Amino acid sequence: MADVTQVGREYRIEPFEVERTKMRELAQAIGDPNPIYATKDAALKEGYRDMPGPPTFPAVVMNWSRTEGDLLGDVKVNYAKILHGGEEYEYHREIHPGDILSGRTKVTRIEPKAGKSGTMYFITLETVFNDQNGEKVVTIRTTMIERA
Amino acid sequence: MAQQVYFEDINVGEEMPPLVKDPVTKAQLVRYAGASGDFNPLHTDDAIGKLVGLEGVIAHGMLIMGFGGEAITRWIPKKYLTKYGVRFGGMTRPGDVITITGKVKSKLKEGGKNIIRCEVVAKDARGEVKVTGEFEASLPSRSS
Repeated sequence: MADVTQVGREYRIEPFEVERTKMRELAQAIGDPNPIYATKDAALKEGYRDMPGPPTFPAVVMNWSRTEGDLLGDVKVNYAKILHGGEEYEYHREIHPGDILSGRTKVTRIEPKAGKSGTMYFITLETVFNDQNGEKVVTIRTTMIERA
Repeated sequence: MAQQVYFEDINVGEEMPPLVKDPVTKAQLVRYAGASGDFNPLHTDDAIGKLVGLEGVIAHGMLIMGFGGEAITRWIPKKYLTKYGVRFGGMTRPGDVITITGKVKSKLKEGGKNIIRCEVVAKDARGEVKVTGEFEASLPSRSS
């Protein structure tokens, strides 16, 4: 059962270097043929300074980068009962190959909700990634649901 | 791929061009797992799906959000997209054909920016809702 006293805890995310191939690979897995996600040339023609990532690329950065500590362990959730409830991105600037992103994740909310089979917990995390110059790149809000 | 769009050309109530995806395949889920780094075996191993009472694997919700991102940036250039958020609904299984639709909900001028707010929905061929969400884009104006 999620531990509501963990709200406010923050975790540092180790720097992650963005690779062109990883961006392209995401577009290919989705089946998105947009050429701006495939080559620098196509992206330049459409006014980008290099390939941008597809809109859900922040999830790749999140999944592949290493967060210090054990967030879900500290929140004491039961992994077997976790569902992804929602995901939101606020884009401050494009992500490009070669960017070195580092960030912090914060537990912003843990909210119990009565369900048919008991209490569910809605856990909201907010992650901010900055680039190598300290400029804000993306804010990610993730909601996880721990089923009763 | 997306054509140039201007704030003045977009109207409230206007629909985003719908996107019908090819059927989701198990190979695609394996590929998405590798691309995204989400290796939850529920998406790649039928035995795990059966263990939790499903017929087999289910798609990553984030793959369906990705389909939404494809539909949005076929219509509105990626560089104008400022926000994109979803809530996950029904489960998607291999063989499901997902269609993405969307609609402009509002237009506003705020802090010198020309913003459109739109809703986006992903459904399967039976009309079951998989993902609902919203996106916001900051568009250039013809007059500036």
